[in-house]
Amino acid sequence: MWRRCVDHWPLLPVLLLFLLLSGTENVPTAGAAPQPVPVRSQLIVPAAGSYRLPVIQPGPRGMVLDSDGRDMPLERYITGRVTLLSFMYTYCTDATACPALFSTLNALRERLLNAPALAHRVRLVSMSFDPANDTPEAMKNYGGELARPSQSLRWHFLTSRSVERLQPILDELGQSTSVQLDNLGRPTRLYYHQVKLFLFDQQGRVREIYSPAFLQPELIYRDIQTLLLEAGTAQTHAAVPADRRRQAQ
Amino acid sequence: MKFLPVASLCLSVLLACPVRADETCNSPYMANLIKGQEDYVHVWTLGIKGIGDGRDKLVTIDVNPASPKYGKVINSLSVQGHGDAHHVGFTEDRKYLWAGRLEDSKIFVFDVGTDPAHPKLVKTIDNVPAKTGFVGPHTFYALPGRMLVGFLSNPRDKGGATGIAVYNNKGDVVASYPNPTGKIGDVQGDGYGYDVAINPARNAMLTSSFTGYDNYRTDLDKLIKDPAAMQKFGNTMVLWDFKAMQPLQIFSTPGAPLEVRWSQSPGDNWAITATALTSKLWLVRPDANGRWQARDVGPIGDPASTPLPVDMSIRADGKGLWVNTFMDGKTRLFDLSNPEAPRQVYEKVTGKHVNMISQSWDGKRLYITTSLLEHWDLGNDDHFIKLYHWDGHELSEQWKIDFYKEKLGRPHHMKFSAKPAPNVASLR
Repeated sequence: MWRRCVDHWPLLPVLLLFLLLSGTENVPTAGAAPQPVPVRSQLIVPAAGSYRLPVIQPGPRGMVLDSDGRDMPLERYITGRVTLLSFMYTYCTDATACPALFSTLNALRERLLNAPALAHRVRLVSMSFDPANDTPEAMKNYGGELARPSQSLRWHFLTSRSVERLQPILDELGQSTSVQLDNLGRPTRLYYHQVKLFLFDQQGRVREIYSPAFLQPELIYRDIQTLLLEAGTAQTHAAVPADRRRQAQ
Repeated sequence: MKFLPVASLCLSVLLACPVRADETCNSPYMANLIKGQEDYVHVWTLGIKGIGDGRDKLVTIDVNPASPKYGKVINSLSVQGHGDAHHVGFTEDRKYLWAGRLEDSKIFVFDVGTDPAHPKLVKTIDNVPAKTGFVGPHTFYALPGRMLVGFLSNPRDKGGATGIAVYNNKGDVVASYPNPTGKIGDVQGDGYGYDVAINPARNAMLTSSFTGYDNYRTDLDKLIKDPAAMQKFGNTMVLWDFKAMQPLQIFSTPGAPLEVRWSQSPGDNWAITATALTSKLWLVRPDANGRWQARDVGPIGDPASTPLPVDMSIRADGKGLWVNTFMDGKTRLFDLSNPEAPRQVYEKVTGKHVNMISQSWDGKRLYITTSLLEHWDLGNDDHFIKLYHWDGHELSEQWKIDFYKEKLGRPHHMKFSAKPAPNVASLR
């Protein structure tokens, strides 16, 4: 019943819109009043920080392989920074699936790099569906320069040691995947999978899930800003003693 | 038979034709729309005392013409008790079907992905009012990883003020949002709720409004003789910033606006609804200044005779709209080529009373059921599901299953499913 790409939505106009808007934002700071965002198109765009993203579910636990082949807890890659994570496989050629997600993430990366105050508080993670073919070395090659630790916005390219290690992570996140069989019923290298992008807060909780219908880069950017503002407010709040908070109120 | 993956290989076609409806009225976030022949229709059915086991049930019908069981009930899965079974909705991966009932506000989650011919009940959510603050789960609208639920009422006064809740796919409440009761602009919110429908390309969500528990659980004959009760119907629609879940505008749409359908045609930016009590079609779209407006664009039948438009199904290209009117049992087709001026082009009496209507993606097959609400159904035993074929000119009945003779109950909401494709396997 699964197919290689589902929920298709016209991404190109969205990407064009995103490119038009790139570099024009004012980066909000924690505690600043949200500024209304002019409607530049018929897309309704809320101001960052003017809304709350509810916690959808806790983040998954499990062990993954980094691109140097080291066993690492997944938690390390979904906590501490606001994280965008997607599942992919390196040889996916469906332009509306993994490559579209990659393009979206890359465009967001470029935009975030223009706002260094945000960039160092955000990370990107691409994790393979295919532990057999997507080895750590393959993931490192796939990531290329983007995967270099010296990049100011970290992008991790992860895989797993086995399907047994991977499957609970997929199940926990509701990321459906299946393998296409050939005429003799043998597995091929093609995957049918849902196209999803997960947004984690700094506590590693899932705060938004984007499918192709939701892949509005402008809104994803607002969501990142909103989570960072929330974290900033929480930090500010935590730094002020409770009695002083009461006085201030 | 056309299996789903066959359709899925036509990626360029899918990209050009964003999906947003039934098969044609499913959530735009839902995967695996069936664009070929559906194999099964699942019917969420009200249990009626004295009819079979009297319990609410999910009835599965084989609807593939190539099957020896074509047009037959192949499975009936009863749940505990009965409580005004009403609407259903798939999760975004189409593996699970959420089904609500309006009397006790329970939500049943069925696994329809593993073996769609034999659904399994996997979860019952029985603390809905306590967890959400609302009563009467009506619309189930898939979002990635979660389910948006539109409600009809509240547990405090059982009136029409209600809201929306978001569940994750594990069945936990993520958030709930009351419908607006204050003024936005010049329009006073009534807080009532019914349907929800989202246009992801605009980040726009529309909600409509019906009536509260006290009214929908009162016998219709008694209700219409109670002027005070008849004042307690929703008269508004609300446009929301979906991302922020914040109401932006309230529209005055008198007479209980019910189902909301966004046009699925690429580039379109409008939705249509029907007001049940005033029998009118309303168009919601931005004006030349970008300000959203709701406008009465024409009657459905003769409003003076209260035909009571209930369910409707928009064509995949947005050019046509099927509307069922409950009181006269008619199925009507409107030409929506110009949505500002819908034009009725066909009608047929399809039952003594009819409610739900679901069409196949290609618009060639229409399934019709009869039950509206446990206490509003008319005093006859004409409860069925029928399949009609539409050739562009005429509806022709293919088969009918009498739900009373089959001792099933009263059929309400329908959803389609398909057999798992033979050329895929689980991850390993």
